[in-house]
Amino acid sequence: MSSTIFFSTLYASLVLCALGLVWRVSAWFRLRIGPDARDVASSQRVAAVFRGAASALFGSRALRLLGALFLDVLLLRKLFASEKLRWFGHLLVMVGFTLLLLMHALAPLVSAKLFPGYQPTLDPYLFLRDLSGAMVLVGVALLLFRRRADFPQPRRLIDWAFVTLLLIVVATGFVFEAYKIASPRAFYRMTEQFIGSTDRKELEPLRAVWASEFGVAFDDLKQPVDPALLQQGRKLQQDSCASCHSKPTSAFVSYPVARALAPVERMLDAGRANEWLLYLHVFACFLGLASLPFTRFFHVVAAPVSLLVNAAAQNRAFSTAGRASQRALALDACVRCGICDARCSVAPVARYLENAYLLPSHKLVATGALAGGRLLRPGRENDASPDDTHRDEARRVAEGAYLCTDCGRCTSRCPVGLDLADLWRAGRDDLAAVGLPPPEQWVQARSALAWAESLEAGSGQHPLADADAAFAPLSADRRSFSRCVQCQACTNVCPVVAHSIDAEHGIDLTPQKVMNLLRLGLRDLTLGSRMVWDCASCYQCQENCPEGVRVADIMLELRALSVHRLGALRGRREPA
Amino acid sequence: MTGVRQARCDVAVIGAGMAGMAAALFAVERGLSCIQVGNSGGLLFASGLLDLLGVQPVADGRLWQSPYEALAALAREEPDHPLARVDARSIRSAFERFVAALGGAGLRYVSLGERNRKVLTSIGTIKTTFGVPLSMVAGVDALETRPPCLLVDFRGLREFSAVQIAATLGERWPGLRHERIEFPGCEALPELYAAHLARALEAGETRARAIALVKPLLGEARAVGFPAVLGLARSSEVHAAFEAGLGVPVFEIPTMPTSVPGLRLSGALEAVMSARGVRRHHQATVRGLAFDGGGGTATLDLEGISGGERVSARAVVLATGRFSGRGLVADREGVRESILGLPVLQPDSREAWHQRDFLDPSGHGINRAGLRVDDAWRPLGADGRPAWPRLYAVGSILARQDWMRSKCGSGLAIATSWAAIEQVARELRAAAAG
Amino acid sequence: MKYALFLGCKIPAQLPAYELSTRAVLGHLGVTLVDLEFDCCGYPVRDVSRDGFALAAARNLALAERAGLDLLTPCSCCFGTLRHAIRFLGEDAALRARVTQALAAEGLAWSGKSEVEHLLSVLAQKLGIDAIAAAVRAPSAGLRVAAQYGCHALRPSDVTGIDNAMAPTLFETLISVTGATPVDWPRRLDCCGDPLHQANTALSERMTQAKIADALESGAEAICSACPHCHLRFDAVQADSADPSIRTLLYTQLLGLAMRLPAKSLGL
Repeated sequence: MSSTIFFSTLYASLVLCALGLVWRVSAWFRLRIGPDARDVASSQRVAAVFRGAASALFGSRALRLLGALFLDVLLLRKLFASEKLRWFGHLLVMVGFTLLLLMHALAPLVSAKLFPGYQPTLDPYLFLRDLSGAMVLVGVALLLFRRRADFPQPRRLIDWAFVTLLLIVVATGFVFEAYKIASPRAFYRMTEQFIGSTDRKELEPLRAVWASEFGVAFDDLKQPVDPALLQQGRKLQQDSCASCHSKPTSAFVSYPVARALAPVERMLDAGRANEWLLYLHVFACFLGLASLPFTRFFHVVAAPVSLLVNAAAQNRAFSTAGRASQRALALDACVRCGICDARCSVAPVARYLENAYLLPSHKLVATGALAGGRLLRPGRENDASPDDTHRDEARRVAEGAYLCTDCGRCTSRCPVGLDLADLWRAGRDDLAAVGLPPPEQWVQARSALAWAESLEAGSGQHPLADADAAFAPLSADRRSFSRCVQCQACTNVCPVVAHSIDAEHGIDLTPQKVMNLLRLGLRDLTLGSRMVWDCASCYQCQENCPEGVRVADIMLELRALSVHRLGALRGRREPA
Repeated sequence: MTGVRQARCDVAVIGAGMAGMAAALFAVERGLSCIQVGNSGGLLFASGLLDLLGVQPVADGRLWQSPYEALAALAREEPDHPLARVDARSIRSAFERFVAALGGAGLRYVSLGERNRKVLTSIGTIKTTFGVPLSMVAGVDALETRPPCLLVDFRGLREFSAVQIAATLGERWPGLRHERIEFPGCEALPELYAAHLARALEAGETRARAIALVKPLLGEARAVGFPAVLGLARSSEVHAAFEAGLGVPVFEIPTMPTSVPGLRLSGALEAVMSARGVRRHHQATVRGLAFDGGGGTATLDLEGISGGERVSARAVVLATGRFSGRGLVADREGVRESILGLPVLQPDSREAWHQRDFLDPSGHGINRAGLRVDDAWRPLGADGRPAWPRLYAVGSILARQDWMRSKCGSGLAIATSWAAIEQVARELRAAAAG
Repeated sequence: MKYALFLGCKIPAQLPAYELSTRAVLGHLGVTLVDLEFDCCGYPVRDVSRDGFALAAARNLALAERAGLDLLTPCSCCFGTLRHAIRFLGEDAALRARVTQALAAEGLAWSGKSEVEHLLSVLAQKLGIDAIAAAVRAPSAGLRVAAQYGCHALRPSDVTGIDNAMAPTLFETLISVTGATPVDWPRRLDCCGDPLHQANTALSERMTQAKIADALESGAEAICSACPHCHLRFDAVQADSADPSIRTLLYTQLLGLAMRLPAKSLGL
């Protein structure tokens, strides 16, 4: 390969990679997640990072940083704690790839300088190179083999492409090496350069040795080989070749491949495989380099940074500016491993409600989409976009966000140590800001009467439709509340009524009024009432009711029903 | 779902109104173990006043100053009336024990004595009753002597109007004034509820503010009347604080149901049951009640407790009340007793249930429907014999009484429960011995 | 005595001391606690989906059933929720069918065998007051304590089955046995306000403050809770003031100290 082509494509890839890195890293300072981030300018965020880095690197925390670098970044301590098989696979890929990068790709800069007398064809380098490549392959295989998740992360084409590229790099590496091991053309090139001859007869002894012990696939060697010839050849080998060539059998992957390639070696030689295999290998590397920042494997940059940043911040106490950047960084540092989903407390509910957005890995993607303005197109206040599918998606994201119990399991299990708990809080605030607050807020944004009027206009449903009966069986069955005699015992023992002394935020309907509306068949009037969402579920009403009306059970049913029925109304155009 | 629990007791009381509570109390005081089913719903509607017997005969509307003399008249004129079948000494003991138990739970009553008392109600009428809570007794005195008096009400507490009371009493009490104040902290609310006010007054700060609002309005008043909101669980303390703060006798006026005195009564009785080891099942229903032929054990199947519960009892007391508590159920054909289907004494036909005039002072035939019992308080079956040797019926479910018009509700409940439990104790002692 | 310990979401996330002290105390009293892979009890799901809530609860019950264990929980909310689910599944056949199907998809089944017990009733009724008294070495010398049961532990009584819901004494008895003095406070059965702290913060805070004021006025030095929600709520509402008006204690910590267990094992 000409060095012009090599270096020009290398530099082009480096530039692309650098541009990509700049673009991705800049997002850490541009993306605004959480209401507190909105008031911070990007310049402030950059400044905060420099300040933080300075104080961390030159302070007492430097030691902690070093520890984090070693234990978390290199040894992947958190991943080890969560999933050992994953950790092993990841370690294999990391070590294997790093060795290949440093010792093989950058050999002239690294290996040659560190080890005098370095030759890629010498042991232990020969063996180590194959080992590294094998580690990468085995590691990738282990990582691809994962538990079947109910809601797997959607894999983007570009991510699959990158993995394929990586495999191509390693595979072509092996094949190229195998080709060269078996290539007579390569043999003659060597002998021309170091012995000064390509004459077959003169090189017969050497050829014999190289055929039988070094795997070269000569098609014109006299068989069987004369032992005396071999002896002679070995001496020649010692003198001329051994200083640079170990037996290729230690290339435990390439050598068998070389043996397998023997029959087609001549064709490969004739087809100048030495060129196109090399091009393939090198261009695959460069393509991978250029595309890295645009794939999820950018996490090789983002994750270590995130780990170090979190280690540097004592007790996770960030300034507002620092926190803003840390959140954006977390989105990139997420490796989409799905470990957070595995023990999510509400995962069973996610399955039942068929809503992936209850799960952390999906919430994280949605948080990023929301912050980046991709989740919702700008719409009217309190509405998502008028488009149905978009609105439904946004609502599902909201449902998932608000069903989080803040149990913290995802945060403690995340192998990259992301502060997911903080992201969820910020994400919820962001949702509220774009018109998707939790149900207790959007329901109470309008009066019960206003909601009832919308229901009448929009639904065309009889108030006691069957669909609601499964959802709210007690409320749909007259017998549950027909015994109410309006004695007001429930209202008298209700602490919510007792403490609602603020008329503006007070409740609009007392419990016995809610029951009365049900008796009158006016259930729709109750759905938007404050009582339904301010009910503390303390069950005093139900415990004290002289008629055995299950007041609190009914109240909570109305709550779920309100989310269901009133939720369906949100965003719909109001009738003229 | 989860396995049905088994429980045993000496006496199973079905019903947690006045009669049920009295029966459970008397049972445990005699050393009998007791399980009680039912919500204290009826008690929530109580006024806190304990009637023994105020009117006899009902048709004449004659009021009596001495309940015991009224009882004597009752015995002469209506010997089949349940109250007539309990002797006066037992009635005295029953009331003493009941009121003592309430006092032990912090709900103090004035010592009972021999006479009825007159109490002012929240609509300005005058009610004849027997047992009066300590917090209301100053009102009895004031009604008698009619000194200059101030009635206070709270804006927003719709069920009580001092204006109304004063207007109803009119010239009969010239020195009666009325004032309206804001309840401290609730100035922004359009509507207030008595129980919340009562609970709020248990906090010293709120109490002090309320007293400070009333004090300047006292004027010549030598007594002050409030709606019954002076505390919920700590009524004695709150009442005493008001008296100390205002420097004059303070009395509560009983309010409409669901009233605070009713909540107090229910709360106190629950505390008594809890302290005496009575197992309570609120909101549970008796799905089945069966008796073994040998007369030894009754089995109650309770529903509404997680998993259900099966109670084996040696005696059962039916204190299920009348129509509102669903002890009796009426349909177009007739009245039936809801748990066992015991025969109900009732007017011969549906048409005879009511008089033509709804407000006929003598009452209606349907009001006197109920269970007949033998001398041992055991309800009779279809054959005229006790339905089961140790099944008893007490309280308002009994026939031949019109407790609302006689003003004898508590008396009926407490006296009949006392008498029935006496029978239970006797029976169980005999069974143990023999 | 062996139970599957159901901690719920709140305790591990925000009140690990409650878990620590529960394990320490029950371990000392000879109760074996087994940890299963439980998930959320379903309490917050009830606000949006009755089915989802019933399933979440039933799944936990099924896990316990598979292990042949009853559940023990120190959280009143989880206790009430799981028991409510049992009730709904019992009375609504269609719901039960849907939940059974969903569970079967995971290879789980629930037939109603596992009981759900609250820490308080296991202590007072299953282990017994005498057993606990015998384990007390260093009685708390009259500390005046206001007992906070937690609404969902008591009501509705036909679901919870704990004590007399209108006049409970179980927690007070448990407190006495540690040597502390339970105080009678009028608002003891009132809601602490926690369920509302997001939907209506002002209202919630008033409810909590009213309780604290009531406890103080009744002479209490500490509020002892049997639910992490209540405990954290009392703490949260006092967090802003430099001088909190009343101490908050977990019962397991009170008992643990009286049993002379090391403070560290109780999360103190």
